[in-house]
Amino acid sequence: MRSLRLIPLGLWALLLLLGASVQAGEAKGSDTKGKFFFKKSCKACHMDGGSAKALTPLSKTQAQWRKFFDAGKHKGEALSPKLGTPAQLLDIKTFLINHASDSPQPETCGG
Amino acid sequence: MERRTFIELLGAGTLLVPPLACKLRGPIAAGPTNLNGIPTTCELCPNKCSLLAVVKEGRLAKLNPNPENPKSRAMLCARGNAAIQQVYDPDRLKQPLIRAGERGEGKWRPVSWDEAFDFAANKLKAVKEKHGPEGSLWSSTEGFQEVFFKNLGQAFGSPNVMRHPTLCLASMTLAYSTTFGTVPSFDLLNADYVIMAGANRFESIITPDTMDLIGGTMERKAKLIYLDPRFTVTASKADEWHPIKPGTDLAFILAMLNVILTEERHDKAFVETYTLGFEQLLEHVKPYTPAWAEKETEIPAADITRIARAFADAAPRAVFYAGRRSSWYTNDFQMRRAQAILNAVVGNWDREGGMVPNRKVAKGEFTFMPWDDPKASRVDEVEKAFPLANAKDGVYLPLRENVLKGTPYPVKAWMIYKQDPMHALPDQGKTLEMIQQMDFVGVVDIAMSDTAWYADVVFPESHYLERTDPIEVMPGIWPAAVYRQQAVKPLHDTKPMLDIAQGLAKRLGLSDYFDYTIEQWVEAEAKELPVPNGMEHMRKHGVVGFEKPKYGTTRNAVHRFVTKSGKIELFSERLQEAGHDPLPVYTAPAQPPANKFRLILGRKATITHAALTNLPWLHEHNRENDLWIHPEPAARLNIQTGDLLEVSSTAGTVKIKARVTPEIRPDCVFMLHGFGKKSAWLRRVHNVGAADSILLETAWDKVSGNAALHETFVKVGKA
Ligand code: SF4
Repeated sequence: MRSLRLIPLGLWALLLLLGASVQAGEAKGSDTKGKFFFKKSCKACHMDGGSAKALTPLSKTQAQWRKFFDAGKHKGEALSPKLGTPAQLLDIKTFLINHASDSPQPETCGG
Repeated sequence: MERRTFIELLGAGTLLVPPLACKLRGPIAAGPTNLNGIPTTCELCPNKCSLLAVVKEGRLAKLNPNPENPKSRAMLCARGNAAIQQVYDPDRLKQPLIRAGERGEGKWRPVSWDEAFDFAANKLKAVKEKHGPEGSLWSSTEGFQEVFFKNLGQAFGSPNVMRHPTLCLASMTLAYSTTFGTVPSFDLLNADYVIMAGANRFESIITPDTMDLIGGTMERKAKLIYLDPRFTVTASKADEWHPIKPGTDLAFILAMLNVILTEERHDKAFVETYTLGFEQLLEHVKPYTPAWAEKETEIPAADITRIARAFADAAPRAVFYAGRRSSWYTNDFQMRRAQAILNAVVGNWDREGGMVPNRKVAKGEFTFMPWDDPKASRVDEVEKAFPLANAKDGVYLPLRENVLKGTPYPVKAWMIYKQDPMHALPDQGKTLEMIQQMDFVGVVDIAMSDTAWYADVVFPESHYLERTDPIEVMPGIWPAAVYRQQAVKPLHDTKPMLDIAQGLAKRLGLSDYFDYTIEQWVEAEAKELPVPNGMEHMRKHGVVGFEKPKYGTTRNAVHRFVTKSGKIELFSERLQEAGHDPLPVYTAPAQPPANKFRLILGRKATITHAALTNLPWLHEHNRENDLWIHPEPAARLNIQTGDLLEVSSTAGTVKIKARVTPEIRPDCVFMLHGFGKKSAWLRRVHNVGAADSILLETAWDKVSGNAALHETFVKVGKA
């Protein structure tokens, strides 16, 4: 597989450090890539029968996800580089907030 | 004629006529026999019943229901059975075709797959170069391989991946999602009191849930209250039929709420624990009395009051059933919201015989390479104009308007999968105009639909009985994961959608996103099925399903509904913020002027979808459509059954035969969908009857953007 064309890292790292959250007018990552990295980085442990409690975007509200990413810590360790590059973490955050338990989620038919 | 000779002949020149040479029985292809049946999954409607394909010497002999899927209720409907005829249909697409004459002229050049791929990829690249990837539109209808088509559009960089829901149930799914955070199922098998409005379930689409409803009303003597301007088969089987004035269902529901709430017949404990906005709702429905509603609906106030009381008394085994129907009016979302609210206040949520949140079957997911998000915003401007709608599905009619105007940017290439916009969208004239202003139109289908007839290149897809598809989870009260596996080898030079996507991706420089096989995809999914040896299980059984429904899992104090507040939202702040009524407000619909009628539509279970009208077994029961008109206006206009009529709206004019019948209100006329085809390769319905899409005017629901199909007034006279 071809390696991903990533968004310039410096910019996202800075935004993350400033505690940016995905709200109106703020930096947004990629929902599609976020789903991919969430599966790769988080679901490896956070799944039914996994080594940690199963997690889906619905596990938290938008504010709770924001708080988690703004704190930037996972078991006392910095999120990056443990769970991905800053750009990848922004993608994951975007995906989780977009699909959080209080996000608007109109269902679809099939597909 | 041998198949090979026939295909060679096809390759020799331009095709002007349908490929009649291949008889209905088709060529005899020696192959394996499996009399027990190969477990697979029907594709002919969204229900996806499990079935067993009996194969004799490589040919499909019969399709039988697969009793292992509890959701399928061991049935296979008429359409499901007729799928065999699609495979051996002489009118079927048999190899790729490139247009050789003008669009719609019906002149085709049979080509190799390589030539078809090269041709389409070059056209797509040219549009991308000139207009960017957003200059392409990718539209499709649900299906297990739809994911590969959508992925191709997205990997190409287009934001304009357009799905079908706004031609279907988007107003309903959005209204229930807004209220409950999810779209529940209706437990028709156990309900004691069912109200249904305008969804003719006994006649228009027979699925296993129709059988539940029939069982409920016929065997258990559940009550069925039915509202429809037309006396349908469902009306004939209902306990009560009310020929409601079209467009006034919301008034009826608001008056029911008025009775239930002012008489305190609602489920107080449930409302208190699980809902938000009851006080506002109570105030809101006060003016909507049954006496007021009688004037709007033409249903006597005493009947409305009686029905409201009986409904509340029968709860929680009482449902106002959403049915399976498209959207009729520009207030369809608010009408559905009122239904959802009515169901909520009687506390039928998550109870046997009520409304039950869908359960799912766990399955794995194949992880594929993600692409960059598109840079441009969508051409339908869904996020701006319909902020609550599902932005990934898009809004079809507003999209067509924008494409025709060329705003906010030009769209010049249109790829279409498994969809016939010429019949699925109202106002065929506008759809044709949209096709004509494209630099390129490519269609993937199994038959020469009317849209394919106007395309530049047609890719023939393998029939579902000839392919293996991804595993799909069918959520519901009886959830199932179903598998579609190849039952017979492709009869013609066709390919599944994944192979078509890969063929195009290779030429568009997008192969990295499609570097997998269907087997790898399915195996990843099967790995996490809740059965040992998932893949082997699926090959043997075709389904993983749950026999026993589970009720009440969300009825506990800690459950958080997937809404903004975490509760069932009777009053919706989110609607208010988006500039819509936070509680459903009634506005009386416009009425047809004296010399016109409201055109209402419907389906028949043998031909629910327009693509099925050409199949011999189904066509036998539905040879031509006609226009229902009440004897009173018919006498005034000197019309008799069988007369040829001219029917016109601001969108178009058709000719169709009359059926004079008292089974319709005098202010409406009715016609069946799916006739009057332009494609000469649909020989049984080519120029037979009339297409409703020619007459229908462009109108949509204000909140969801769903096409509103009963907003057209027509003039009727003898031709
Ligand atoms: S209801 Fe009929 S058409 Fe629909 S999936 Fe079942 S058998 Fe097929």
